[in-house]
Amino acid sequence: MHGRNGVLAALLLALSVISVSPARSAEPAAQWGIERLMLQLSQVEHSQVRFVERKYLKVLKAPLQLSGTLSYTRPGRLEKRTLKPKPETVTVMDDKLTLENPGRNERRVLKLRDYPTLWGFVESIRATLGGDIKVLERFYRVELEGGPAKWQLYLAPREPSMNEVISLIRIDGSQARIDTIEVQETRGDRSVMKILEDVP
Amino acid sequence: MKSPARRRVGIWLGCVLACAIIVARSQYGADLAAFLPSSPSPTQRFLVDELREGAVSRLILIGIEGRPPDELGALSRALAARLEKNEHFSYVANGAQEGWRADGEFLLRNRYVLSPAVTAERFSAAGIRRALEQQLDLLSSPASMLTGNLLPRDPTGEMLQVIERFQGQGGPGKREGIWFSADGTRALLVVQTRAAGFDIDAQEQALAQIRAAFEAAAPEQHAAGARLLVTGPGVFAVESRAGIKRDAMRFSLLGTLLVSAILLFVYRSLRVLALTLVPVASGALAGIAAVSLAFGSVHGVTLGFGATLIGEAVDYAIYLFTNTAPDSTPKTTLQRIWPTLRLGMATSVFGFGAMLFSGFSGLSQLGLFSIAGLVVAVSVTRWVLPELVPQGYHVRTAAALGPALMRWLSHAHRLRIPLLVLVIAAVAWLAGRGSTVWDDDLSSLNPAPLRMQRVDQQMRADLGAPDVGVLVVVRGDSEQAVLESAERASATLAALQAEGILAGFDSPTFYLPSAGAQRARQQAIPDAATLTRNLAAAADGLPFRAGTFAAFVEEAQAAKRRAPVTSQDLARTGLGLKLQALLAQRRDGWFAMLPLRGVSDMRLLQAGLSKHDRSQVALLDMKRELDVLYRGYRLRALGFAVLGAVAIVVLLMLTLRSAKRSWDVVAPLAAAVLVTAGILLATGTRLNIFHLVALLLVVGVGSNYTLFFERGNPGAADPQRTATSVLFCNLSTVAGFGVLGFAATPLLSAIGTTVATGAFLSLVFAAILKARSPQQG
Repeated sequence: MHGRNGVLAALLLALSVISVSPARSAEPAAQWGIERLMLQLSQVEHSQVRFVERKYLKVLKAPLQLSGTLSYTRPGRLEKRTLKPKPETVTVMDDKLTLENPGRNERRVLKLRDYPTLWGFVESIRATLGGDIKVLERFYRVELEGGPAKWQLYLAPREPSMNEVISLIRIDGSQARIDTIEVQETRGDRSVMKILEDVP
Repeated sequence: MKSPARRRVGIWLGCVLACAIIVARSQYGADLAAFLPSSPSPTQRFLVDELREGAVSRLILIGIEGRPPDELGALSRALAARLEKNEHFSYVANGAQEGWRADGEFLLRNRYVLSPAVTAERFSAAGIRRALEQQLDLLSSPASMLTGNLLPRDPTGEMLQVIERFQGQGGPGKREGIWFSADGTRALLVVQTRAAGFDIDAQEQALAQIRAAFEAAAPEQHAAGARLLVTGPGVFAVESRAGIKRDAMRFSLLGTLLVSAILLFVYRSLRVLALTLVPVASGALAGIAAVSLAFGSVHGVTLGFGATLIGEAVDYAIYLFTNTAPDSTPKTTLQRIWPTLRLGMATSVFGFGAMLFSGFSGLSQLGLFSIAGLVVAVSVTRWVLPELVPQGYHVRTAAALGPALMRWLSHAHRLRIPLLVLVIAAVAWLAGRGSTVWDDDLSSLNPAPLRMQRVDQQMRADLGAPDVGVLVVVRGDSEQAVLESAERASATLAALQAEGILAGFDSPTFYLPSAGAQRARQQAIPDAATLTRNLAAAADGLPFRAGTFAAFVEEAQAAKRRAPVTSQDLARTGLGLKLQALLAQRRDGWFAMLPLRGVSDMRLLQAGLSKHDRSQVALLDMKRELDVLYRGYRLRALGFAVLGAVAIVVLLMLTLRSAKRSWDVVAPLAAAVLVTAGILLATGTRLNIFHLVALLLVVGVGSNYTLFFERGNPGAADPQRTATSVLFCNLSTVAGFGVLGFAATPLLSAIGTTVATGAFLSLVFAAILKARSPQQG
């Protein structure tokens, strides 16, 4: 009786060593997940980057190319400043979205709450940059693939009304940095925004 | 009983029965318009009609609160679904997308006749080229997400043109996809009844339907504990009528009980107490019957006033019974006091008589009611009551109280100086306040309790519902004529808007352009071959894929052939409600209303509009116009009150044949009216029409006191009995009206407070001034 216990104990010990040792060596990978990514992202207070966006539209023979800067300040401010081909700025501050187009002499202020689809789209970027999983999950079914060095975040809209416009958003990144935002529209149009270097 | 006496009682009973039948079959209303002048200017008439039966008068705002937002949202949807199926309502909205989607489809289908930008130039090669370049620009903008993917169907962007007109028109915030108050505690709905706002019975039914639908929907949605709030002109009318009925009933009863208790103490006889109420009841019945016969229906306010008749009519019997000494009979007493009683009654009748001819049906009703009531009450006291009094009855309390009362009276003259000071102070106070004495806000006429008015304001703000503002009213002989005029006025307003004189405006022609304008837009669209050719030329060199705009050519051709949009087409959408609010047929023809926003300069606006015929296009500041209307009304009522006062003085002069005696009667009354007005103002009240009517009543009631106190009065053979009878009358009046002062209906409490104060002061002042020389006391 005593001997059998000793064998069992040794076996358990051996098993535990076997099961623990690979885990210990890959510890960051095993614990890395959506929470860790979000935590990492949420530690960036402010960022400002250059972007190049290509829009592949069904009505056009060739893609449209836009470029400009994208900046984010925690917790609620997001600004997309398009410089080429025509200047246009979209600023989101909390619930207020301001669209300014000097070329069309246009300035529009909207409340995101009144435009759920637009709100959802804004949060795909703002909540990602803010590391706010609660907001992301309110609008999307969220899936994460890859590892900390190279990850892909898939956002599928929950609301049918939003789903009529956007079928999937894919955000690629590395560590606390976003590299690409790709928006797949339900009607077949697609846009890919590449994030380039930081601008001071 | 002798046979003439029996016949008199028989006639009286017959009249009471006849009146009761008329009263039972009477119609009762609470139509505010009854208190507006009957012959106003065309714009005022338009306003009054709008208040009575316009689309705005048929709106009911609904709020649901008391549960978390998601539950309120579900409940709002369930309630809307139920009300939509209900035949009482022509329109139900809670902001849910489903409703907007139907409207959106309507707008999209009719974009080519609705868009103000449609001209022949727009569909030329150059025009389309410009549009396509703009579209290309828009495609790169995030704004394209807002406008949706209409490009292939609508490259010239007409849908955007149509929608942009509706932007900035305001609207409630949304949560859970439906309308919510800004703080998220209240889900909001708007419904429109089929019945007009002044049809209170129909409004009452509609309200009951809403409550029933809510009661049924709440447990279904597991939202027990949710509260329903309803407001709107119809709700006000229903609640006011119910409130006045309830208050008038409750406080009349309470007042009667209180007065009865006092009289029971005085009389020590239930039978005599009952007899005292006989003239009051007869008078009230006769008053309502007379109004019902003369006007066809009885206004709630008049009915409420019935409660106040107690105040004066009860006095007649008190004078009779209290003045009857142990050694005399009621008949001999009557012979003695009848001239005074009759003069007192005549004084009141003269006071109210002025109102009879005021030209405001509401005031005329009050006048007729009071006159009929008083004449009948005094007649019953004179000819019926003596027959019913038990043989040998007299009031003992009077004899007991008399000596003490006389002692007080003999000292009353010492208060003459303080009284003079008080009157001077009151006059100075009134003069100093000038016109701010009056509450010229029409809402002070609103018979609904203040609590309801506050809820209404709050929900209107939440909904961004248009309250009365500045608007341009356009008149025409037919729907098409008024639409065409409105289009011309809109063009002027658009130019003024570009100059920054106003921030924006709404027009029925945004939703329903005139047939002429629609036809012109249809003709601006070229035929299919030309349009295809222009499109090809325009797209040359642009990155659009070939064949992208096939749908555009097809839909533009369909729009060209389609019959013009009519108001019937719009009625089937949510936009129909909007149109109804802005376009209406009235007695004087068709009216279009163009509400303006953010007017920065009224004068420049007026100047800009002056190129239009003023009889067709008029600028209207609703709030100011309504207040002017009310101020005019109040001024006229004041004029008639003054006229009544003059008539009273003339009457007294003619009857008493002495300026001095007339002065003795009038001076205490004038002092009482002035000081009462002063006290009301000092307590923060601003006077409205009801206070004015109440002050007239003070004169009516008070004149009896001063007449009985007056030296040459033949009824004052027994000063002790006279003094006690006046005291009892006063006690009962103050009690009856004092109770009314606690009513929730503003008009009843205004009348109650004013008359109780005024009547009390009349007596005190009469006593002070009467005792001018001590030997008279």
